[in-house]
Amino acid sequence: MPKNNPDSPKTISIIVYFILLFALWFVLSGYLKTLLLFFGLISVIFVLWMSVRSKSLNYDAFPLKLLIKLPIYWIWLIKEIIKSGLTTTKIIWKGNYTPQLLKVKASQKNDTGKANYANAITLTPGTVTIEINKDTFLVHALSKELAEDLQSGEMDKLIKGLHK
Amino acid sequence: MGYLIHYSTIFFLFLGCFFILSGSVGLIKLPDVFSRIHAAGLIDTLGTGFIILSLIIHSGFSLLSLKLLLIPLFILFTSPISGHAISLFAHESGYKPKAKLKR
Repeated sequence: MPKNNPDSPKTISIIVYFILLFALWFVLSGYLKTLLLFFGLISVIFVLWMSVRSKSLNYDAFPLKLLIKLPIYWIWLIKEIIKSGLTTTKIIWKGNYTPQLLKVKASQKNDTGKANYANAITLTPGTVTIEINKDTFLVHALSKELAEDLQSGEMDKLIKGLHK
Repeated sequence: MGYLIHYSTIFFLFLGCFFILSGSVGLIKLPDVFSRIHAAGLIDTLGTGFIILSLIIHSGFSLLSLKLLLIPLFILFTSPISGHAISLFAHESGYKPKAKLKR
């Protein structure tokens, strides 16, 4: 609930957004001249001002401790993507697909966590989130072993730890 | 060192091309919409991932490789959304998957 928050987390997340946006601007442009950096600063501040004014900032999207946990999670996710990608490739070339529908329970408390979990399920090849009810996902899996891999709940636990 | 960069670029480019090829084969070969989304997801994640990895190795570690890293980062957020949107609308418009619901 961004409205009921006290003022301090708001300013912290605005600062985090500012740093991220300016880093993005710098990486995409690559200029080091003072004048151009100043123009970049102005455009970043303008974008931030507009998004604060239109109330489209999500204030609990970037807690600071997430920045430490996130790289570890991404490395784990890349490992998982490669593993299930190899399984999917094998299924495609051999042709012995046994598609399955299953219901997966999500134990994350907030919406960001659930969205992240559904995103991670869809991102790993071989499993797609079709529908989201309150805390159960309808998942389509390409084979039995991919479905069992998902039902072991390792990913669920990891993402729950990410959003504490 | 130059040889190592050269051959690992070729290796990862070949690997990415292989995953894009098998994703395309899967798009034709698999039976229904829900299974074909998996093949498209394979192209999105592993295909582009390995090709961009090889481009990063080829360009050397500079500002350019940071720019290249932004592409998989955006794909990481957008590709699941498109896959979910297609499967959700196929499901809501009454298209039945071949798989049975398992409890």
